Amino acid sequence: MSQSYRLASGGRVNRGKVLNFSFNGKTYQGYEGDSLAAALLANGVDVVGRSFKYSRPRGIIAAGTEEPNAILQIGSSEATQIPNVRATQQPLYAGLVATSTNGWPNVNNDVMGILGKVGGSMMPPGFYYKTFMYPKSFWMTYEKYIRKAAGLGRAPLQNDPDSYDYMNHHCDVLIVGAGPAGLAAALAAGRSGARVIIADEQEEFGGSLLDSRETLDGKPATDWVAATVAELQGMAEVLVLPRATVNGYHDHNFLTIHERLTDHLGDRAPIGQVRHRVHRVRAKQVVLAAGAHERPLVYGNNDVPGNMLAGAVSTYVRRYGVAPGRKLVLSTNNDHAYRVALDWHDAGLQVVAIADARHNPRGSLVEEARAKGIRILTSSAVVEAAGSKHVTGARVAAIDAQAFTVTSPGETLACDLIATSGGYSPIVHLASHLGGRPVWREDILGFVPGDAPQKRVCVGGMNGVYPLGDVLADGFEGGVRAATEAGFKAVVGTLPKAVQRTEEPTLALFQVPHDKGTRGPKQFVDQQNDVTAAGIELATREGFESVEHVKRYTALGFGTDQGKLGNINGLAIAARSLGISIAQMGTTMFRPNYTPVTFGAVAGRHCGHLFEPVRFTALHSWHVKNGAEFEDVGQWKRPWYFPKPGEDIHAAVERECKAVRDSVGLLDASTLGKIDIQGPDAREFLNRIYTNAWTKLDVGKARYGLMCKEDGMVFDDGVTACVGDNHFIMTTTTGGAARVLGWMELYLQTEWPELKVYFTSVTDHWATMTLSGPNSRKLLAEISDIDLDKDAFPFMTWKEGTVGGVPARVFRISFTGELSYEVNVQANYAMGVLEKIVAAGKQYNLTPYGTETMHVLRAEKGFIIVGQDTDGSMNADDLNMSWCVGRNKPYSWIGLRGMNREDCLREDRKQLVGLKPINPKQWLPEGAQLVFDPKQPIPMDMVGHVTSSYASNSLGYSFAMGVVKGGLKRMGERVYSPQADGSVIEAEIVSSVFFDPKGERQNV
Amino acid sequence: MSAINVFQQNPGAEAKAQTPLHHADLASLVGKGRNNAGVTLREKKLLGHLTLRGDGHDPAFASGVHKALGLELPVALTVVAKGETSLQWVGPDEWLLIVPGGQEFAVEQQLRNALAGLHIQVVNVSGGQTLLELQGANVRDVLMKSTSYDVHPNNFPVGKAVGTVFAKSQLVIRRTGEDTWELVIRRSFADYWWMWLQDASAEYGLSIEA
Repeated sequence: MSQSYRLASGGRVNRGKVLNFSFNGKTYQGYEGDSLAAALLANGVDVVGRSFKYSRPRGIIAAGTEEPNAILQIGSSEATQIPNVRATQQPLYAGLVATSTNGWPNVNNDVMGILGKVGGSMMPPGFYYKTFMYPKSFWMTYEKYIRKAAGLGRAPLQNDPDSYDYMNHHCDVLIVGAGPAGLAAALAAGRSGARVIIADEQEEFGGSLLDSRETLDGKPATDWVAATVAELQGMAEVLVLPRATVNGYHDHNFLTIHERLTDHLGDRAPIGQVRHRVHRVRAKQVVLAAGAHERPLVYGNNDVPGNMLAGAVSTYVRRYGVAPGRKLVLSTNNDHAYRVALDWHDAGLQVVAIADARHNPRGSLVEEARAKGIRILTSSAVVEAAGSKHVTGARVAAIDAQAFTVTSPGETLACDLIATSGGYSPIVHLASHLGGRPVWREDILGFVPGDAPQKRVCVGGMNGVYPLGDVLADGFEGGVRAATEAGFKAVVGTLPKAVQRTEEPTLALFQVPHDKGTRGPKQFVDQQNDVTAAGIELATREGFESVEHVKRYTALGFGTDQGKLGNINGLAIAARSLGISIAQMGTTMFRPNYTPVTFGAVAGRHCGHLFEPVRFTALHSWHVKNGAEFEDVGQWKRPWYFPKPGEDIHAAVERECKAVRDSVGLLDASTLGKIDIQGPDAREFLNRIYTNAWTKLDVGKARYGLMCKEDGMVFDDGVTACVGDNHFIMTTTTGGAARVLGWMELYLQTEWPELKVYFTSVTDHWATMTLSGPNSRKLLAEISDIDLDKDAFPFMTWKEGTVGGVPARVFRISFTGELSYEVNVQANYAMGVLEKIVAAGKQYNLTPYGTETMHVLRAEKGFIIVGQDTDGSMNADDLNMSWCVGRNKPYSWIGLRGMNREDCLREDRKQLVGLKPINPKQWLPEGAQLVFDPKQPIPMDMVGHVTSSYASNSLGYSFAMGVVKGGLKRMGERVYSPQADGSVIEAEIVSSVFFDPKGERQNV
Repeated sequence: MSAINVFQQNPGAEAKAQTPLHHADLASLVGKGRNNAGVTLREKKLLGHLTLRGDGHDPAFASGVHKALGLELPVALTVVAKGETSLQWVGPDEWLLIVPGGQEFAVEQQLRNALAGLHIQVVNVSGGQTLLELQGANVRDVLMKSTSYDVHPNNFPVGKAVGTVFAKSQLVIRRTGEDTWELVIRRSFADYWWMWLQDASAEYGLSIEA
């Protein structure tokens, strides 16, 4: 029997389009336009999950975001699994596959249910805190148990096949919610010409009007919705976003909207389409028209499937053509809820009775119900639902709300649906994300948004305005105000006329009294977290008086619910238990996001190959063609080594090292930071930013420099060349380029603005090819017009000329200790030059080498790498580089004062030295700790660590650099490195210059 | 040698040259995109790019620039153009001058002559960046996916130019026509931008022009 709860007619569904779907393995049918929840109810599916703690069967309560129970797992394949989807917000599509997220092994016959009956009393509020806290080491064990028991969905095990992205917007007015208030606001703002965005979380615009009995200008309210949406869509500057939840209200009127573009089409987005889009909106003005949530009354067994919110019942009847039962009992404390009885009656279904907690209700809707002959029991409420897996009856009794007592035994009315309404709670979440605390209003029995410094207006139900005519007017006026504030001239407009009604006040009833008090049947406040009225009372008895403490002790408002359905009732119960007012109780803090956001939407396009920018040099394709393995250096890809077939990294690096020492190697050094410095004060600036002196560096020469922070610790280094009296080219480390330029600009702009000097990055402009090795001169001579004679072009100078027919600046500097030339050409021409170098290099066995070989060769020479051999706590003296400090420069410079602090002058500071393992085959791991006495008891007195360590073919033994306390005065002494396996590596402290200590090879 | 080293770095039109997007082989993609693509991309290759620094408040500087280029110094966040030459405000004391490829050396000399005696900087950055032109009805959507800067015509009229955040890095956006925009991108990031732009324009259709 298919769709036995579908009404014969009515609803906004397309009955011509039948959609098959499955729930917990069984196939059902629904219609296009259904929500998954509506389709389930149409099929009489009443148990959609098991509760988190007590494992009680749970059914659908609501029709929107506030649904606490129908939290399902969706997805027809592993890759498209989505956990924790509200069935009330998931549009039905053909082939939808849904399962319950909790209830193992299945929701109808749950083994946990038996445990739950026992476990429930074993798990009072605070159970986790009291029980699972100790012993701490058991937490991992507990966690598995809890997760299994709670079963809140699961993540997919395969990559998500869909694409998600961001879109940035700036608008004059952002309107949150497209119910009557939001639509009216959008009309006002849109007509003013302002840039307007209106977003609504539902499948279509209209909000409460989509299932309303109301008429506007005598016509169905949905006619006005259609006309309004059409007008808005026709406005060039208005962006209309359905299926888009405004989830976060952040500082500076920055709001995030989560749009579900294709979730209504299938569990995969159609090819080429984005599944979810996060709109990042900077709004001049915000109109919050989020509406209100109906809150249920709290009574015994109010979680048995068949207990629903009154408004939700109306939604299912009027919007989806679904009756979630046959015989209705309504329990209410207000007039507005009477419309469900009228809707039910109009649909030809039986209204058994209305229990109204008020003494003598006489409002228009009440009278309308009376006139239809519906039985109304006044001063009464449903005190307890009958049934276990579904409602079979409602015990209605007379109550005294003021005294909180039941005043009659009452009668049990046979029914299969209890609709409940305890009043309305403005949806203050977004208005409170930035901290503005909501304010209690006794006249509407709800919290409304408090004052906030943000440029926003709250309108309609969210502002405690409920009659439709007033809502429209409030919304329109809010739209006018927002547009005006944003600098636009609003146009006068007329609004459609709503029917005026007499509406009587709501009675302050949250929890319905029960004969047995809270020791009676369970009275649920927060169904998602299984928080009962008794639990909240217990929390207050145990001394938790602050609302935040009650929340955390009981879990009230945790999870995806975030206090939408149960919060106000919980506060009311806590306030009653403590004998204070709800206003005194206050609310918990509301935080983004309003509803859960998929990880895909959070990541946007910043994933996969677009996760992070990758930077390439002009020579990258040559490296790829020549088999390079790459290393990430910051965002750059640098060739790491160039293995030949069959070579591993060790063999390749050994060969590359040998080629450089014996003949000539080629390194792509383009990634080094390069800064063009010009101005009459360039030299003075260098004096102040570097530790060493630059006054006497002649044009044509280059010099190595160290840079320190104010604390005297080394933070970058590099060679700077004087290319004109007022013109220098600085090089920095690859990773430090942007940092150094920023540092220099900072000092120029804030400390020394009087210096006439400009800096411009030329890192990407120049491509740099380093030729290094004894044959580099001969090779370069074949393709260059520069006089390479050692006297004409000595070490640490530079020349201009052509290389391979391309203008080049060539620097004679060396990071390998060999005769070296760094050839710089405009990057667009680098590949042509490289090809000529490679062609000419054949006869010299020109060997491309990567960063690994570069590291070995420089370490053999004792050249530091900032960031590897330094860690921000080493000054020039620690690095044995006092030669690079110009202590007598006339003007002070950065680091001078810092490096002369008492602590920096200690002789037993950790100092950089060479480490030579006694066994030449042993290799000290980088990072290994060093001790003077390996026999001392643990914890040992650690005296330093290894910073760089390599096997060296040139030396014939492995070697390392490291820092050792007072190491510079301990030459020849031993240090020991105890290893994790219990062995100890013994090493001799030696000079850090292992190779060619006199520098004869580079200076030829 | 003089105080500043001005250096002809361009080997001439005959030399082998590779733009930052050389590896993407854009020429081979011409005509392969969707018909009526919402976005059309073209690399404006191998132009001369010069960074100019100086004191914009100094009338001598402004008139020197005008004398050398025939262009008024653009005010904040704008780009001015004459023929193939454009001059863009980059910062309070910084401009980007783009000239036809091969003219960068001569133009630098003209500028230096016209601004002799002033504290300035001119730097040839032609190898370090390139210009992408995006054209089409959906370029604004692609920009909105990529930058938090407001690219609505109210805020971004033709002639505006800004350096800003774009995806996970930075670049310069210039609006040169109703539906025509330019991006000044750094060489080393070119591949990232190329991949990003292909991705962001996929739903609108991307076509390539040589």
